Amino acid sequence: MPIIGDRVEIERKPKLGGGGPGKIGHRRGYGGGDDGDHGRPGDFRSREQRMRRYRIGMTLCIISVTAIFVLLTVVYVVRMGNGRFDQDTRRWVYDWIPLRLPYLQLWANSLLLLLSSATLELARRSMARKEEFAAMGILPPRMKRDLPWLGITVLLGFCFLAGQVLVWNNLRHQGVFLASNPSRSLFYILTGTHAVHLVGGLFALLYAAAGRLLEARFESQSIVVEVTGWYWHYLGFLWFGIFALVHFAKG
Amino acid sequence: MQMPSPNSILHEQAGFLRRHVFNTDHKVIGRQYFFLSLAAVLVGAWLSLLMRIHLVWPKAAIPFLGEIKPENYLAQLTMHGTLMVFFVLSTVPQAGFGTFFLPLQLGASKMAFPRLTAAGFWTALVSFLVLIAAFFVPGGAAGAGWTQYPPLSALASAGPGEGLGTDLWLVSIGLFCLASLMSAVGFVATTVRYRAPGMTWMRMPLTCWAWFVTSILILLAFSILLVALAMLMMDRHAGTSFFVPGGLLVSGKAVEHSGGSALLWQHLFWFFGHPEVYIAILPAMGVTSHLLSVFARKPVFGYKAMVGATLAIGALGFMVWGHHMFASGMNPYAGFAFSSLTTAIAVPSAIKTFNWVATLYGGRICYATPLLFSAGFVSLFITGGLTGPLLAQPALDVYLHDTYFVVAHFHLIMAMASLFAIFSATYFWFPKMFGRMMNERLGRLHFWITLLGAYATFMPMHLLGIAGHPRRYSDLTGVQYVSAMAPLQRFITLAAIVTIAGQVIFLVNLFWSMRRGPGADANPWQCSTLEWTLPSPAPAEGFGGRQPLVHHGPYEYGLLGAVEKDFVMQDAPATWSDNGPSE
Amino acid sequence: MSAALRVTLLLVLIGCVYLFLAQPYWFPAGASAQSSLFDHQFWIALWVLGGMFVAGHLVLAFVLSKKPRAAAIASRGSWQLEVTWTLAIVAIFFWFNISGERLWSSMMLHQQQAGEIQIEVTGAQFQWYFRYPGPDGVFGRTDAQKFAKADEGNPLGLDPSDPAGRDDVVTTAMIVPVGHLVQMRLRAQDVVHSLYIPAMRFKQDTVPGMAILSHFTPTKTGVYEIACAELCGIGHYRMRAVVRVVSEEEFARWLKAQVKNTSE
Repeated sequence: MPIIGDRVEIERKPKLGGGGPGKIGHRRGYGGGDDGDHGRPGDFRSREQRMRRYRIGMTLCIISVTAIFVLLTVVYVVRMGNGRFDQDTRRWVYDWIPLRLPYLQLWANSLLLLLSSATLELARRSMARKEEFAAMGILPPRMKRDLPWLGITVLLGFCFLAGQVLVWNNLRHQGVFLASNPSRSLFYILTGTHAVHLVGGLFALLYAAAGRLLEARFESQSIVVEVTGWYWHYLGFLWFGIFALVHFAKG
Repeated sequence: MQMPSPNSILHEQAGFLRRHVFNTDHKVIGRQYFFLSLAAVLVGAWLSLLMRIHLVWPKAAIPFLGEIKPENYLAQLTMHGTLMVFFVLSTVPQAGFGTFFLPLQLGASKMAFPRLTAAGFWTALVSFLVLIAAFFVPGGAAGAGWTQYPPLSALASAGPGEGLGTDLWLVSIGLFCLASLMSAVGFVATTVRYRAPGMTWMRMPLTCWAWFVTSILILLAFSILLVALAMLMMDRHAGTSFFVPGGLLVSGKAVEHSGGSALLWQHLFWFFGHPEVYIAILPAMGVTSHLLSVFARKPVFGYKAMVGATLAIGALGFMVWGHHMFASGMNPYAGFAFSSLTTAIAVPSAIKTFNWVATLYGGRICYATPLLFSAGFVSLFITGGLTGPLLAQPALDVYLHDTYFVVAHFHLIMAMASLFAIFSATYFWFPKMFGRMMNERLGRLHFWITLLGAYATFMPMHLLGIAGHPRRYSDLTGVQYVSAMAPLQRFITLAAIVTIAGQVIFLVNLFWSMRRGPGADANPWQCSTLEWTLPSPAPAEGFGGRQPLVHHGPYEYGLLGAVEKDFVMQDAPATWSDNGPSE
Repeated sequence: MSAALRVTLLLVLIGCVYLFLAQPYWFPAGASAQSSLFDHQFWIALWVLGGMFVAGHLVLAFVLSKKPRAAAIASRGSWQLEVTWTLAIVAIFFWFNISGERLWSSMMLHQQQAGEIQIEVTGAQFQWYFRYPGPDGVFGRTDAQKFAKADEGNPLGLDPSDPAGRDDVVTTAMIVPVGHLVQMRLRAQDVVHSLYIPAMRFKQDTVPGMAILSHFTPTKTGVYEIACAELCGIGHYRMRAVVRVVSEEEFARWLKAQVKNTSE
């Protein structure tokens, strides 16, 4: 038996309440949330939904990766500027040895990475086109200038990594070892961390490329390619950031 | 109409591997995390018992272990801290209950990246096993404390636990970082994309808000810890010198490193470590807000203020790390800044406390076990929290730093308060997780013992700290004024033994109820959030083809003036307006 | 259940308050210039925060009372209240925070005084060493890696070729004259240690690779214990030393004797 008595004090205009009691009628229909999601309820498998989901996942990864590189940059800059007062010799000691970089190699690698970003974009476009045809149930026509862009991107990615290995080898031959000075350690750790992340991207692209051989759905492939594209371009951007850091902040 | 998902059909006849290993059902993963944490908390509590016994009866021979040597003690304290902080406090409230209930409370039937979530659990399990394995390597487990300050942790020659044990520690925590990152990505994506239609941000239960903000903290904090761990590992094995300065002489031998900074590690570690504290406590706060509202049969007081406080704590959490380092020799002017920022972060915590108390005020309170533990949480949060502003004041902190005062502070606020929230969440959600009710009588007994035990154990530690007892002492006889404090230490040990023994009641209750407890209804606590629209235990297919449409806020309790059914389910039809039921 | 919970909370409250009033263990008697300031600041903290602790628990016990109620008071919150208690707590916490800043400055910012005593403190696993510059007032060069031999009486690695080091005095107990500013340079030979002198209300980590300047002024003669407060390995618990605060004359006599010993 409902007791509706004078004890009940319902604020008529809840200002602090969680959502408040039901407001009749949803302005956006039941299509949901307040994030402009107009899909059918429960339709999490549509391409649109999957794409959004993977984009968010990738954004989160990029946030995490950014945290890592911001941290390393801060460590680099702080360590570079940090001298220490040696009490015994009564002098400020700066033990940071400036880097000497093999610029030619680094620029060549940068070019490779830039090219790979471009070819990945071409791969994405070609996949999107094919997907449109596939959605209509038509086999996509063979385009004249449609090279296997994905394969080329993967190849360029490997070339970049090989180039980085050459840079490290070159430095080693000059006697610049990981352990010899903080500037060296940080150079290796910056470029090494970048390379590790790039390998992750390469695996994703290889997965997409393998999907083509395995006749997987175009949809999944093109989502992987598009989302990995974000990551790949971001890593390219990051590479130039690192390059700029070690160039301008030599110490 | 959608077909029932293939998962639900397959689930019953699926084999062991499919059900437990290659499973992507978030409810199974949530339960797996729950049991992982249970294993970790048992080991961790056992270690604390060993330490307490060793402190007051140093000659006592422990069965199978014999007498505890200083290096054993240090390994125990390191592993106790690591297990409790990482595998219990950051695991069960977030990855355990969160993985199980986040999608259900949002009205989704699965996590956004189910395979990633599953991979996260298996990585966490491997990480746990690697950590435990450290007990069995030569030299024993790591012994530099869970904070692992180099150069002690960077040089294998600095102590017996600093060899393979520390390597395993670093690998384990590195894996744990990866596991947490995987889990957090799923949490954020689920919250952003998988909310049921009508589940606006301001209609999310506060638990979901807490899990969401915590996940963002995890994304930033754990990636930073990962880098720091890699750097420490390189210092140990690749000859780099990030954290090891030159000119050291350890055990009579010259150390070859040069040019590192021991303070750098402290900065990096605490830049992770302080958000980590909030990673542990935010979900506990969310659970408490949720439960107080349910059991007081009142809406959460100041929902938006609660959300705002959660966000403020998350943001400020990254700016206060320096208050762990007032005594470390950093710039005194930085001390001013960190002290003010730390005082600032006490404000949203206080706001939350006020709102909890206001939520309870005037409620038709149902004194079930979950409420008792939530009330215990508020009490412990006040007690442990109020020493926070004291320790945020550098002049006072320097004296109390690394004494038992700090041990008391963080055990009350981080360990005990979170643990109380974990217990209340367990009693509360047990029916949804296992389909049965836990025993109320045993639950209450467990509460009284734990509350009194927690206070009896940790309150006297404040006095030890005030009297100048440094922490991490494996023996009280080394310093005279410390040995004078043995009587109080003995009292604390007795209190700890009683408290830990009291947890047997919980274990018995848990396992007995799992098999024999009375079956639970779909909604035994009369809750309004979406997980309670499902039968108990939550079925494998979740909401199945049906997706709930949300029309109401999460805390519509006591508004109808009715006694039998005084709440409105979140997915109840929208006929009920501001003016009451429209029928 | 409601009554039991309230009674328990009140018992806990009484127990905690009793502990802090009875003070079965408390600060050692202060023996430095900053100790009275520190103790005063701690009393402020105890009253402000202790008061909030008591008030918080009383309110909690009050709201947990179970008056028979047909229905809950369905308030969703009030911005007035939120703003009020936020401002109140900001005022209390920040007032309290600022009240301690002067003490922090006096402890940490560099001070100078005529007749100050220079001491270099070195933490090593698991022993404290104290070095006095001797009559020349200059510390000699050290290189632990090259010269340190604890069993040959040179634990810090004093460079024998540096004349400034010849009259340096190295001890394992800190001897200081009463009333003089003790200017310390804190170093560590291997891992992080922390010099903790409770009676002086003094603590400072000693970090390898750094030489941290810090100071205190002893005001009472006597012997006070030093402990290590940063985990430094298996002997952490027994890394003990003492500060002996003596009269000016005694200090001068002692130093003279030590210098004589060292140069022989």
